[in-house]
Amino acid sequence: MIKFNNVWKIYKIDKEIEYQALKGVSFEIKEGEFVSIMGPSGSGKSTLMHLIGLLDKPTKGDILIKGENIFNLNDDQLSTLRNEFVGFVFQQFNLIPKLTVLENILLPTIYARKKLDYDPKKKALELIKRFGLEGKEYSYPNKISGGQQQRVAIIRALIMKPKLILADEPTGNLDSKTGVEIMNLIKNLNEKEKITVVLVTHELDIAAYGKRMIKIRDGKIVKS
Amino acid sequence: MSYIFFVVKAAIEDFKRNKTQTFLTALGILIGVFSVVMLTALGLGLKKYIGDQFSALGKNTLFIAPGKILSGGSFNTLSSLSTIKFDNRDLMRLKRLKEIKGISPTFLKQTTAKSENKSEETTIFFASEVFFDINGFKIKKGRFFDKNDIDKKAKVVVLGPKIAEKLFGSIELAIDKKLSANSVNFIVIGVTESKGGGGFGGPDYDSYMFAPYTTGFIFNPEKNYSRFAIKFDDNYSISQVKEAITKELLKRYDKDSFSIIEPGDILSAVNSIFGVLNIVLVAIASISLLVGGIGIMNIMFVTVSEKTKEIGIKRAIGARKNDILIQFIVESTILSIFGGFLGLILAFLGTLFIQRFFPAYIEINSVIIALVVSSAIGIIFGVFPAKKAADLEPVEAIRHE
Repeated sequence: MIKFNNVWKIYKIDKEIEYQALKGVSFEIKEGEFVSIMGPSGSGKSTLMHLIGLLDKPTKGDILIKGENIFNLNDDQLSTLRNEFVGFVFQQFNLIPKLTVLENILLPTIYARKKLDYDPKKKALELIKRFGLEGKEYSYPNKISGGQQQRVAIIRALIMKPKLILADEPTGNLDSKTGVEIMNLIKNLNEKEKITVVLVTHELDIAAYGKRMIKIRDGKIVKS
Repeated sequence: MSYIFFVVKAAIEDFKRNKTQTFLTALGILIGVFSVVMLTALGLGLKKYIGDQFSALGKNTLFIAPGKILSGGSFNTLSSLSTIKFDNRDLMRLKRLKEIKGISPTFLKQTTAKSENKSEETTIFFASEVFFDINGFKIKKGRFFDKNDIDKKAKVVVLGPKIAEKLFGSIELAIDKKLSANSVNFIVIGVTESKGGGGFGGPDYDSYMFAPYTTGFIFNPEKNYSRFAIKFDDNYSISQVKEAITKELLKRYDKDSFSIIEPGDILSAVNSIFGVLNIVLVAIASISLLVGGIGIMNIMFVTVSEKTKEIGIKRAIGARKNDILIQFIVESTILSIFGGFLGLILAFLGTLFIQRFFPAYIEINSVIIALVVSSAIGIIFGVFPAKKAADLEPVEAIRHE
């Protein structure tokens, strides 16, 4: 489903100095997998996540999504893929503070170009119920707990029925008990709903939820 | 379409959250639209006022004045100073023309009119009986002077309603009363209906007095006339009449020393002056619209940098560049239309207030233009900030704190 082929990401810091965040990374993630990408900070895992999430393009090398090289896609096509194919779960939740829980969850459907074969609001309410957020539909993000916010973010990631959930340190801002709850939710999505999950973390016990681990250090994969 | 609705709703909620900032930003456009609409209203009012003065003039009328007053539809200010003076010989010659049905020589006398217990600065308009018809006067009380009064050099006077009230307390009380001007005693025989106006360079007929020109020779021993008002036979076209008059007057004067004026000529000259005046006023007022637009652009740049994170999140969940572009253009346009709308309301109120002493009015055109211009400003000045927002790199934007 996702294939990286000798991918480099080089940042130019100024005219002479450049920083190689990724140095020729190759791997493949198949449909239905639960892959943890693990590495210390500065290892290039965030860069890797941005590339998988189509938020950025590599300096060289090829990234294939569903067999399509992303260099051949224009900005609108990439936006559509982010909208329909990927669901993001971030460390800082990244909810929009001035929108209610329900509005945040429905935001991706506002940007949807395809006609949805379901009622997004109905689905949102259903997911809210399933994730134990009943009664919080019209609350604002700053009025609910961190664990609840992350659940909202997960529902937002699910609302477009994505093929891939991309979770970037999803427990990083949560206490360990809540973190376990969130990880179990994500694990369930992979096991019961067959959604491919890519988890980026620096914590071994979180990475352990994955069925396969890609270790990265200094921009290179050390174990796949 | 539903996206536009979503964006409009979100923008309005944003503005509600920042009421003060929204109002201050819209203030620039408010002032701009207010001044444009207000100045246009004043210009139109002035034009209408003067137009009304001329439309009161009767049909088939012409005026002959010394000097070259009008040339090519505009007032000629330079040569109107050097003038000839018309006299009885001109009157007799013109009277003989078959095209002319009635002619009134006119001249003015500034004076102080005294009733029994009041005195008032005024102007006496000396003319013949046809003058009232030519200028569209109507009688309110009493009568106009007639041919008989002219022949007898009767010391009778017709008053404008304002001067009648000032001297005698009311229009009714003025009739048959005596008044004196420069020690000459007149009897008031009539009061005209109000013609309105005055005060803006045009004659304030309501404060004038009218008397037979023959009587006026007391004040004008040279028997000079400053103007002729003419009613012509409608079997002749206006150009035929002008030609006949010109031919007659050229026997005595050269062609640059007199003017034949149609009321329409004056009207079109007035219109052309006010057309230019209006453009100049609107151009000046438009500068404030421009400044308002720049204010909106400035605040939109601030908004874009405040919303960088939000833009990043939206891009991550699938918003296209265009979606972001539209969001910010809609925001700036709403701001601008809001300002324009407030400016318009204020201009309406201002016009209502001014109408108490000046005939200002707002045309539907200025309303449409004000709203179109303010939305155009919102779009034009919103494009650069919106483009900046749309072109943010998703990665950079979402990392922004």
